[in-house]
Amino acid sequence: MTHLHQPGKLPPHNPIADDGDAVHFCSTCAFGSVCLPAGLNKSALNDLHMLVEHVGPFHTGDHIFRNGERFGALYAVRAGMVKTRQIDDEGHEQVLGFHLPGEMIGLDAIHPAKYPCDAVALDTVFVCRFSFPALSTLAAKIPDVQQRLFDLLSADIGKSSRFSGDHTADERLAAFLLDLAGRYAARGFAPNSYRLVMPRADIANYLRLAAETVSRVLRRFQDQDLIQVVGRELELVDKPALQKLARHILRD
Amino acid sequence: MQTAATFDPGLIARYDVNGPRYTSYPAAPQFHAGFGEPQLRAAAHASNEDPIPRPLSVYVHVPFCLSPCFYCGCTRIITRDTGRSPIYLQRLHREIELIAPLFDRDRPVVQLHFGGGTPNFLDRAQMAELLETLAQHFSFSRDPKREFGIELDPRFCDADYVRALAPLGFNRVSVGIQDFDPEVQAAVNRIQSVAQTRAVLDAARESGFRSTSVDLIYGLPKQTLAGFARTLDEVIALEPDRVAAYAYAHLPQRFKAQRQIHAADLPDAATRLRLLGLTVEKLTTAGYRYIGMDHFARADDELARAQDASTLQRNFQGYSTHGGCDLIGLGMSAISHIGASYSQNAHDLPRYYAALDAGRLPVARGLALSEDDGIRADAIGLLMCQGRLDIAAFEARHNVDFQLYFDAELRRLRKLARDDLVEIAPESLQVTARGRYLLRHIAMCFDAYLAREAAPAVRYSRAL
Repeated sequence: MTHLHQPGKLPPHNPIADDGDAVHFCSTCAFGSVCLPAGLNKSALNDLHMLVEHVGPFHTGDHIFRNGERFGALYAVRAGMVKTRQIDDEGHEQVLGFHLPGEMIGLDAIHPAKYPCDAVALDTVFVCRFSFPALSTLAAKIPDVQQRLFDLLSADIGKSSRFSGDHTADERLAAFLLDLAGRYAARGFAPNSYRLVMPRADIANYLRLAAETVSRVLRRFQDQDLIQVVGRELELVDKPALQKLARHILRD
Repeated sequence: MQTAATFDPGLIARYDVNGPRYTSYPAAPQFHAGFGEPQLRAAAHASNEDPIPRPLSVYVHVPFCLSPCFYCGCTRIITRDTGRSPIYLQRLHREIELIAPLFDRDRPVVQLHFGGGTPNFLDRAQMAELLETLAQHFSFSRDPKREFGIELDPRFCDADYVRALAPLGFNRVSVGIQDFDPEVQAAVNRIQSVAQTRAVLDAARESGFRSTSVDLIYGLPKQTLAGFARTLDEVIALEPDRVAAYAYAHLPQRFKAQRQIHAADLPDAATRLRLLGLTVEKLTTAGYRYIGMDHFARADDELARAQDASTLQRNFQGYSTHGGCDLIGLGMSAISHIGASYSQNAHDLPRYYAALDAGRLPVARGLALSEDDGIRADAIGLLMCQGRLDIAAFEARHNVDFQLYFDAELRRLRKLARDDLVEIAPESLQVTARGRYLLRHIAMCFDAYLAREAAPAVRYSRAL
């Protein structure tokens, strides 16, 4: 039946910010909220040669950009999940982060004008490409766009140090799950249940834990009725308990 | 708790058609050669990457039998040459070494099953060595609830053999009987006494096996109601925890051994139905619960408890208490079910050996389930195991509008509802007591492949 469209199949739960068009911004757009009050819709931005270009689909394992490539644009995820990572001289991967719809990638490439990491699609991914020269020009003209850019940069710097402290596996995982939930909720998606798209090896790598530890802790969380895991679908059952565990990491 | 199923020959006669047994959906005839080693490796790799990867269930196929039972439809090789075992075992060890590393070591083997053929074709030393290799390459669960089972042919093993299996970790035994009637035993070339059978079951219980199970077949040549009634009494006296009563599927064009059976000796349809009725009546009176399809279990057996707890699932051994495992099939013709895939090893020894000798996994065919396959497999599994499908939960799980998605299926199902096999309510589908005997027919309503196939008769046995 795969070749037929099956009636009764509903649109996927997977978050997708695909509500934008030639004139309107996607609801999750990082810049839409600051451009609109300044009287700029998307067609006006195009007049300014500010290219907002929809790119995709990328499939699992595809690169959106590669480490060392010349920096020319910021990207915003529209749908799917993107992993950023570095590979060291010995070939070991270090996962830097996971990026959800509405989130920007490439902010750390502005200086020295090279992407410092790979951006890899973890499932089917669509992105928006913001030409950086055009964005700089726009920022010079519209103070709110400039402020927004600074905000994004600042938030990006804070994020990368989050899991580098001395925390237990339980604390790390609780913080990781809550952080994702908060980010989904902030973009208008279901706040207490989402799909863990990333392989557990990536979660483990990102949190600097062994893969077995990730599963062992998640299984215990499940036994303690903190979460419910079915396949890759995750539900946060007892958020206060998770917040208590994660309080040293998620101070803000 | 379900009520005892009521038996109605008139109704059952109307449903005397052919269909799959749904030990898998899609059924095995849909497997294809386009699914090979790369696909199997990818499925295994992906199965490690869930946040909590599924535990493992391992099936080991021992294809050899010392003597041919004429009714048999299994993939097996008749030989008296025990010298063939070491040659087979060498490849089996090789296969374990190749496939086990594909699964992360923190995934425990919670279920192990030896089937055949005749697993006790292997001697005690060979069995011990095989278990050691398995334990070395997989992580055996240390949970006392783990289920390590083996099928035994009591004609070819003694109490000492059975006692030697317990220290290897086996805790469940399944014993073939079929029928104790001497006339039937002669007609199917399987002479086996009650005493032989009891010796194996007693030895298993003495040495701490947790559960015993026996297999019967109705519809065999020369079978009579009076003879089978005696068999059932003898079986009940043996006190197995589970009884499987399979319908004999006479497909002589497919299974060569069955050509030894004279069609004229087979009981007619009416007698077959009465044999099934007798089985249900005697076993339920003796305190067994009808689980579904061909399976009965004592009310305190894990199978019955799994059904109450909605954790029962269907697999290639029929029903199983261990839902949510990835199944790894080892040996000639063995079937694996890893993630959303099915795959089957080469069906004959030359091809099975050749693949392993070349360092390849011996997978010959298989299938990656589409999203639609997965949705239908879930519906079929729920109806066959729990006898109930909760529509709201199903819609949430699969993101479908049930009435729209299964419009054609519900139309087919409504015909069965008119025969009181299933109740269709806005919030659920519920299999009735009568419907429990016709689970295959209920499942067939959801089978997309059957709906497209012109003549399922060629591939499948009679659904009764």
